[in-house]
Amino acid sequence: MLSGAAALAPWSRALAAGGGTINFADIGVGDPGDWSKFTKATGWDVNLVAIGNAPSAILNVLIAGGGRQIYDVINIVGGMQKPLVEVDLIDAIDTARMPNWQKNSYISDYLAPGTPGFDFIGYKNQVYGVPTILQGDSFAYLPDATGPLDSYGALFDPKWKGFVALEDNFTTAGQKTALYLKSSGMATINDPANMTPSELKTVIDFLIEKKREGQFRVIWTGFEQAVNLLTSKEVYVMDAWEPMVFVARSQGTNAEYARPKEGFLLWAMVAYIVNNPDRSEERTQAAYDFLNFLLGPWYGAQITLTRGYMTNPASVAYAAAHADQFSTDKAKKIAAIDANVKSKFELGGTWQNRWPTHIREYESEWARFKAA
Amino acid sequence: MRPNPPLVRYGLLAAPIVFIAVFLIGPLAVMFAWGFWERVGFSVRPAFTLEHYAAFLDGARLFVLERGLVVAISVTVISLLIAYPIAYFLAIRVKREVARAVLLLFTVPFLVNYVIRNFALAYLLSRSGPINRALIDIGLVDKAVDWLLFSDFAVFTGLIASYMPFMIYPLWLSLAGIDRRLVEASWMLGAPPIATFLKITLPLSMPGVFAAAIFGFVGAFGESAVPIILGGVGYQLMGNTITSALDVLDYPLAAAMSSVVVAMMLVLLAAWYMVFDIRSFLGKITRWKFRP
Repeated sequence: MLSGAAALAPWSRALAAGGGTINFADIGVGDPGDWSKFTKATGWDVNLVAIGNAPSAILNVLIAGGGRQIYDVINIVGGMQKPLVEVDLIDAIDTARMPNWQKNSYISDYLAPGTPGFDFIGYKNQVYGVPTILQGDSFAYLPDATGPLDSYGALFDPKWKGFVALEDNFTTAGQKTALYLKSSGMATINDPANMTPSELKTVIDFLIEKKREGQFRVIWTGFEQAVNLLTSKEVYVMDAWEPMVFVARSQGTNAEYARPKEGFLLWAMVAYIVNNPDRSEERTQAAYDFLNFLLGPWYGAQITLTRGYMTNPASVAYAAAHADQFSTDKAKKIAAIDANVKSKFELGGTWQNRWPTHIREYESEWARFKAA
Repeated sequence: MRPNPPLVRYGLLAAPIVFIAVFLIGPLAVMFAWGFWERVGFSVRPAFTLEHYAAFLDGARLFVLERGLVVAISVTVISLLIAYPIAYFLAIRVKREVARAVLLLFTVPFLVNYVIRNFALAYLLSRSGPINRALIDIGLVDKAVDWLLFSDFAVFTGLIASYMPFMIYPLWLSLAGIDRRLVEASWMLGAPPIATFLKITLPLSMPGVFAAAIFGFVGAFGESAVPIILGGVGYQLMGNTITSALDVLDYPLAAAMSSVVVAMMLVLLAAWYMVFDIRSFLGKITRWKFRP
């Protein structure tokens, strides 16, 4: 039998150290509404601060806003390792310090080194982030107006001219368009996730042509705005996030989220440890304990239930086995969401690329589309 | 011993001057400098390059600048045409107590968050919104009118609703300060009302008109929320395209574009300063620096 410090679990070691507060910056998706389980296990409280998800907002928070000294962990849409590592804002992750890492088969299945998914958590063969959410995006539609739809071609179908909305984001709308053009043979695009400037120009020229034909009603920029576009029937087909469909349905709108034959735009939310050379070992250990908690079954179940995203494989079994915390209906809902997203990953598609090689050209071309 | 008056005066002046130098002129100077600096990775390095200005002037953003100018000038002119009669009525035709109450009411829209205000406007103008429903119900149209929302009309409506109320105040100040005896003298000399307005009231209210125009133009030119919420398919003004460059950490390009915008604003302010005596804006002096 082990004794002394060697026998202590990481959480117990932190508890023994007396605890403190983990400062957690999040874009509004990673809040389970209750951190008491983490606090009870480790003695550390959690102070959650909402931040924006745009690269500039994140860097401003960490550099100009003094965030390196303030935040321990930031939880944002992943794939931001290149800018964050190159300006020394995040730490490499020692996965051995998180017992739940090894138990998470989604990491080995979808985010393994050498696969496109790894680019969401790693950089140059080193892990920098912990996946907290996994999801596959496509588009939303109103079946009463359109009937069933199963291709991104619906976004460009003249039948829905003037009733289509795109997201104001070149890494989502632009990539989905590239995926459609490649799958339909309308353009030669080697990798929709990382296009060359000439491939990108082809995609933007196509979008501009459609824009001039009056295909698009609006480019949306926010969650509420997008939901309103569906519920008000301002548009019938919309490049969207799946939770928008859940909210629209809860407001009485018959909306569907498509399973396009071209596949999904896959992505992950990722938690990074903020690089702070002055952070004590106790605090660093607490940050690792916190990341381990984010990979844990209760947190995963709670986030899947409240946000509609897949988190980790243990969350489904945990919810089913803990009726005192998750009712039967909630456990079924968690299992259904998990199965749905898992099937998206099995179908595949393209991984969203938050920081493509030619990002300056992406931004410039997207500006050309919007200005056209 | 009494304190030295100049020392006290300079001491009192020092605080606001230092504040403005550090927190206003300082950041502006950094911004102007960054527009010429080199981009190295995700940072900037001191240098002198016109690359960012060239990128701005060669690309789609120049079109955004041109459209931004056209939109801002148009919105300013339309807003003046709406605001001037309101200000005139409040300054000349109604009692001061009533005018004050009405002017207070014009501040109410500013108590509502501008994003919410624009979303409310989007609801009013949408295909299923109350305006379209009313148009269909009274039989003016058969189906919803598309161009009410996500169109030039919607952007102009949003910008005018946002900035026109701001313009009423300098106009009212200027009109209320006009010496009524000058107007009465014009009447007594036989000038018809329109001639009196064109030869007396309008010229004397020009400082207010110019101030109002600056309020409207600066606001409309730099606006970013209205085009996003009401503009539809990528309706961009300068504020949007600067934000877009910042999103990919292209600080020098954003700085170059911002510098051009600030320079244009400074030219406008300089013109105002050159043409008008600033005190005439308050109606205390009824002359221009340079007679028209």
